[in-house]
Amino acid sequence: MKLFSKDRPEIPIVNHLKNDGSEWTVKEKLWLGLSIPEYKKQFLRNPINWFMILIFAIGVPLLMQRYLFGLGTVTHSSNDYPWGLFLGFGLFAMVPLSASGFMLGTTVELFGRKDFKPIERLALLNGLLGYFFAVLFLEVDLGMPWRLPYPMFVSLGPAAVLFLVAWHVATYLTVQVAEVLPAFFEWIGWLKGKRVIKKWAIGLTVSGIILSTLHQGALGALFTYAPGKVHPLWLSTNFQWILFFCSSIFAGLSMVIVASTLIRNFMAWRCDDTFKDSLDTITVGLAKGSSIAMITYLVIKIVAIAHDQEWEYLLTGWGSYYFLELGVAVVLPLFMFAIGVRNHYVTLIRFAAFIAAIGIVWNRLNTSLVCYNWQLYQEIPHWKEVWITVTIYALYFLTYRFIVYRLPIVYGWKGEK
Amino acid sequence: MKNLFSRRNFLKGGLASTAAVAVLKNKESDASGDFTGYPDGMGVLVDLTRCVGCRSCEAACNKEQSLPEPDKPFNDFSVFDELHHGQKRRPDEKSYTVVNRYDVPEIDHPLFRKIQCNHCQEPACLTSCFVNAYTKTPEGAVIYNVDVCVGCRTCMIACPFYIPAFKYSSAFDPSIMKCIFCYDTRLKEGKPPACVEACPQEALSFAKRTDCIEVGRQRIRQNPGKYVDHIYGEHEVGGTAWMYLSGVSFDKMGFDIHLPKEPILNFVKDFLAIVPMVLTIWPGLFVGFHLLATRKEENKKHTIEQNTDEKEEQV
Amino acid sequence: MQTGKKFLKTALAITLGVTIISPNTLLAMAAEDAPETITIDSMANLYTSVEFNHEMHTEYASCQECHHHTTGAIVAAPNCARCHHNHDENDIVSCSGCHVANRFSEKYLVTLEKPELFHIDKPGLLGAYHLNCISCHEVTSGPTGCQECHTMTEAGEKRFDTGPFSPKAGKNVSEKH
Repeated sequence: MKLFSKDRPEIPIVNHLKNDGSEWTVKEKLWLGLSIPEYKKQFLRNPINWFMILIFAIGVPLLMQRYLFGLGTVTHSSNDYPWGLFLGFGLFAMVPLSASGFMLGTTVELFGRKDFKPIERLALLNGLLGYFFAVLFLEVDLGMPWRLPYPMFVSLGPAAVLFLVAWHVATYLTVQVAEVLPAFFEWIGWLKGKRVIKKWAIGLTVSGIILSTLHQGALGALFTYAPGKVHPLWLSTNFQWILFFCSSIFAGLSMVIVASTLIRNFMAWRCDDTFKDSLDTITVGLAKGSSIAMITYLVIKIVAIAHDQEWEYLLTGWGSYYFLELGVAVVLPLFMFAIGVRNHYVTLIRFAAFIAAIGIVWNRLNTSLVCYNWQLYQEIPHWKEVWITVTIYALYFLTYRFIVYRLPIVYGWKGEK
Repeated sequence: MKNLFSRRNFLKGGLASTAAVAVLKNKESDASGDFTGYPDGMGVLVDLTRCVGCRSCEAACNKEQSLPEPDKPFNDFSVFDELHHGQKRRPDEKSYTVVNRYDVPEIDHPLFRKIQCNHCQEPACLTSCFVNAYTKTPEGAVIYNVDVCVGCRTCMIACPFYIPAFKYSSAFDPSIMKCIFCYDTRLKEGKPPACVEACPQEALSFAKRTDCIEVGRQRIRQNPGKYVDHIYGEHEVGGTAWMYLSGVSFDKMGFDIHLPKEPILNFVKDFLAIVPMVLTIWPGLFVGFHLLATRKEENKKHTIEQNTDEKEEQV
Repeated sequence: MQTGKKFLKTALAITLGVTIISPNTLLAMAAEDAPETITIDSMANLYTSVEFNHEMHTEYASCQECHHHTTGAIVAAPNCARCHHNHDENDIVSCSGCHVANRFSEKYLVTLEKPELFHIDKPGLLGAYHLNCISCHEVTSGPTGCQECHTMTEAGEKRFDTGPFSPKAGKNVSEKH
């Protein structure tokens, strides 16, 4: 992109109007203002894209195999481990990593912290995409994916936790679409729509936080159906929902730091000065928020162990693994955040956020797979299952990049808003 | 609670979920842990001291439920030596019930245990299902409706006995595979399930659940030393319709003896209880926060204006 | 149970004759009055009928071990002896006389509801045979395998997916990991 923007000042597009005064068409906006050969050229010279092609070349046939010949052909189809990577990673890890939307929505819209405004849209988009792809992962995993609307409209089981998850994720997805729409409306130039949504901003944000609290917690509560199966150190039936909710806070914030870092480094052409200049300060602010959530999380973890009288488990092998997880995934990034915030070491914070985000994935995989059926045996996912998971995640990455390339997420739309 | 909601409908977004929770609240009280089962529900008492591992029940079940052809004949006893991931056989998409052998050192002959759905009084599968695919019938069976199932497999997570299996082999017609107490073909008409009828040793006795407990107690009392003084399933996870008597301690027969005495749903209630609270308190709380946070800003604006006014006055 | 009925008639005649002249202790039926063999075929379906050599079995077990209190002999089991300590011979001594074939039918289960009934746990015919035979065979090294007493019929082979109905090797063995 740098290549083209050097000698063509109107690229990247930040305005409805070209330099000569004529308007960009939507089609031109889609091609980033480049001619098709130019677009092809920039696409092919990016090594990431070749990597993506490799993933899809194998992943798409595997997905077809899954839909034509059943889950049994691509997963280890276990009756003891009904949930594998698709849900363990795709649902249980993607959703907390997408808590960013409601976190920054609340900060900016409700608490009036306008200093976080430059990153609000990225956080909202990160949330929206994370949820959308969590649903996509679900669609890969469900036995009858064509019946996705059944729990909403056909046969309702409202006393089940999953019912809550389904309804809340669906409503929240709608809320998030509404929250991201202004960026889209700016981009296509339909300002009336934007104004309508702006009026709902507070309502949307408040319903966002309600729905998030409940379904982030509900994902944890799903495991309270299996009190005898998940290792007691990873399951506290009384506190599971708080633990999941609380960890989703720093997961979401860390994910925004990770995403903004990647965008700042690899998509600098797309960022405007407001974003670039304020990012360091914002990152420190986010790290501060993360640290508080992490401390709270650690305290609840200890309270949970004390409450359930599980001290003796800490001395077993599982206990060591538990300490390893907490140490690497929470305590280490917590210290790095703390040092980073105090001394304004933004790079350290970014590194810590990366660890914390991976750490949450690790925690969710531990809860749903590694420490599940701890008294039976450990299931290792089929390589095809891993590949399909990576493929869906790659699709998530591409969609993310596609939108950030175009919509005013990390830059402000110039001209009429 | 409903009135409170309708009076405070200041949040459009919250309303959709409010409706959901209003339903949730009603349903929750129906399915609370106080439900002790249908009074005339049937049950089966499995006397493990009688089972000789002939697998007649497996064969009968296979034919009654029109299950797929087995991998090995039902009179092939090498299946008792099979281990999958170090585990003995379990019900899967080809079998609703299996018999496993246990060699207990203090007993000079092998012991056998039949497993199938225990048909809980308050089934975890049922309470975890978000499309109501499961029903506990007044006759005592926990049955499954494939027509509404979406295949999320939460029931398999929730079942404390590792019973429901999934037809992973099918892409277009998958379903949960699980013993249904021969509900459609037999139980509904007052007949015992096929396995009970097939058992030559009468290791399976079919009767009202309450009578099963009575018979179990009588056997324990009248045969001192023969049985462990416990009817497995009388209280486990809130009680099950299928219950077991054993001559050796239940953990030696592969039973999970650490199962709670209360229904699995009770462990989920902590979370279910907070749902209405979050729904009612959060909107007020956060709108309040919002007003507080922005008032400060407005105040600031106000003060600045005042200050400038004052300055102007001074000038 | 053809032979069983004949046996019954004889038993009845003997009982009537003996009761008038003998004191209680002598009421017990004599083993030699019993039939030599009994064909157990009332439930033959999956398995062929069993030719039960009654005479031979009297050498291994006393009457009451199978007939409980019905033959007038003293019952050994302390739990039974509480009521049946001094029991007369019964008119009916055959297994099916007391142990019903449809043990778990709705109709039979209702009869168990009577509050005065003590025998709420009486095995059905199928259970009575197998519980009694196998437990004794285990001690006396008698046959305990299914087909050692009765061979499988075609219906049985079908039910058990065995013999000509065996699963084809490899055909159904799903890929296990």
